[in-house]
Amino acid sequence: MAGIAIGCPPPSAGLSRKAAIVGVAESDYGADYAAQRAKAPGWVAPSPETLAPEVFAAALADAGLAREDIDGLACGFLYGGPTPEEMAGMLGIRPRHTMAVLGLQRGSLPQVCAAIAEGKADTIAVITAVASRSLGRVFGNYSGDGGASATYYYFNPWGWTSQGAHWGLSWQHYLHAHGHKESDLGVVPVQLRANAMLTDNAVMRTPLTIADYLASRYIVKPLRLLDMCLVNDGATCLIVQRADLARDAAKVPVAVAGWGSAAVTENKLDALVRRHLADEFAESGRQALAMAGLEHSAVGHLEGYDASSFHLVNHVEGHGFAKPGTALSAWAAGEFAPAGRVPVNTAGGMLSGSYQHGWSQVVEVVRQLRHECGARQTPGLEVAMTSVGETDMVHPVLFTRGL
Amino acid sequence: MSATEARRSARPNRTLGPGHDTFWEWCARGELRLPRCTGCGKLLWPVASACDHCGGGAFTWERQSGRARLVGWNVFAQSYFKGVLETPYTTILVELEDGPLFVANPVGFGEADMAPGLALELRFVPARDQAGDFDLPVFALAEM
Repeated sequence: MAGIAIGCPPPSAGLSRKAAIVGVAESDYGADYAAQRAKAPGWVAPSPETLAPEVFAAALADAGLAREDIDGLACGFLYGGPTPEEMAGMLGIRPRHTMAVLGLQRGSLPQVCAAIAEGKADTIAVITAVASRSLGRVFGNYSGDGGASATYYYFNPWGWTSQGAHWGLSWQHYLHAHGHKESDLGVVPVQLRANAMLTDNAVMRTPLTIADYLASRYIVKPLRLLDMCLVNDGATCLIVQRADLARDAAKVPVAVAGWGSAAVTENKLDALVRRHLADEFAESGRQALAMAGLEHSAVGHLEGYDASSFHLVNHVEGHGFAKPGTALSAWAAGEFAPAGRVPVNTAGGMLSGSYQHGWSQVVEVVRQLRHECGARQTPGLEVAMTSVGETDMVHPVLFTRGL
Repeated sequence: MSATEARRSARPNRTLGPGHDTFWEWCARGELRLPRCTGCGKLLWPVASACDHCGGGAFTWERQSGRARLVGWNVFAQSYFKGVLETPYTTILVELEDGPLFVANPVGFGEADMAPGLALELRFVPARDQAGDFDLPVFALAEM
């Protein structure tokens, strides 16, 4: 049974297309990653304080706006950072509305849209920064506080924890059910690496083959190093504006047309491992399409939350872009490549592009809907979807070109 | 040190507190018992203070048969518990006869033996964490 994910505003049609994204910017993930590895003398680890002003200035330039045009600030610094009020001071702005956003999966973008619809601000800069690699963060150990789900820590006495373990079980169940070999999953990281090679600021831009994939070490078998997303520093900035003002934007505005959310309420391991969150994907997807007044067939591009390669298989099938059990052969046939039937994660996703917890995929959707993506452009794109499908919840957002 | 102490396996910490302690007390008596909600009858795992199906807060502790079927398995190559568990090690996901999915470790068998549906039965192994000694429920191949 699916419940509404905590924090996401309800998918009310009255909130559809009330706000649009008029400016985007990202840090140079690839350059920062290389600099961090090289650690040349004088290198300083990026922090929200150093990353935010750069992406803010770049997003303003992209939107053709000035600092004075920004009357709202939303900040999401996942591993700590200044308060939104402090950041406003650092950016030299005096917003009438500030808000902290906890992460894309919590419904942050709908929260920003709702704030605009409620009149709290007209033009909100949404700045998110991740400096996890510089803090030496390794993923896997969770404590029982702060709302962390029990499955991450309750089974520790048996040595069980981590995303890799959760999704490794889900992939294993899937491969048995559909008669796959472990190597079949390699098509996903291989395709996403090819996509990253078309993306100037992507972290991983050297060619990847299936042989490379199979040579990469296991993290939690059956998932390998090359199945797991990057850990890297970076920041994004979106300028989100009230729809009627956005009509005059310097570039084609991208409307936030709909969203949905659904959370597992019980039997989490069964829902994830054996049912692949099918109910949650179906319900949240239905909500988003209904809110946007769109048919599924209208969606021409998907940016899914590829914390692992199998996450992305799950997104594609869960959101109805491939029948259950068929996604991997469809990938191998190029159906999800930039020139394919439904392009998926065209900037390399989190596997090869950047791990910004989904925010860089919002940026990619905006660029795709503006038709700015050059060699990786989805031709004639009008409607795109992002989705965060995690171990116990799914949150899709639908975007349309223009207003 | 006694032979049992020498064999006692160091483990990452259990979640303890009301309800959780009761689970481990039953393990110390050689029994796998799970809370069954008196409101709706659901058998819960992990232990929780409220039933995640009906919200009820009263439970009876029901002894499990110890029989289970293998659902899946992981081999941990990355170390998440440095200094406590050496990699690689194997974990299993089993379905208990009465329904709940249960994470555990295999004893007396390994990856090469594993297939979905494999019949298993409960064992306990001596363990310790930072809170003290305990008996850890694990699974062996079911004897014919």
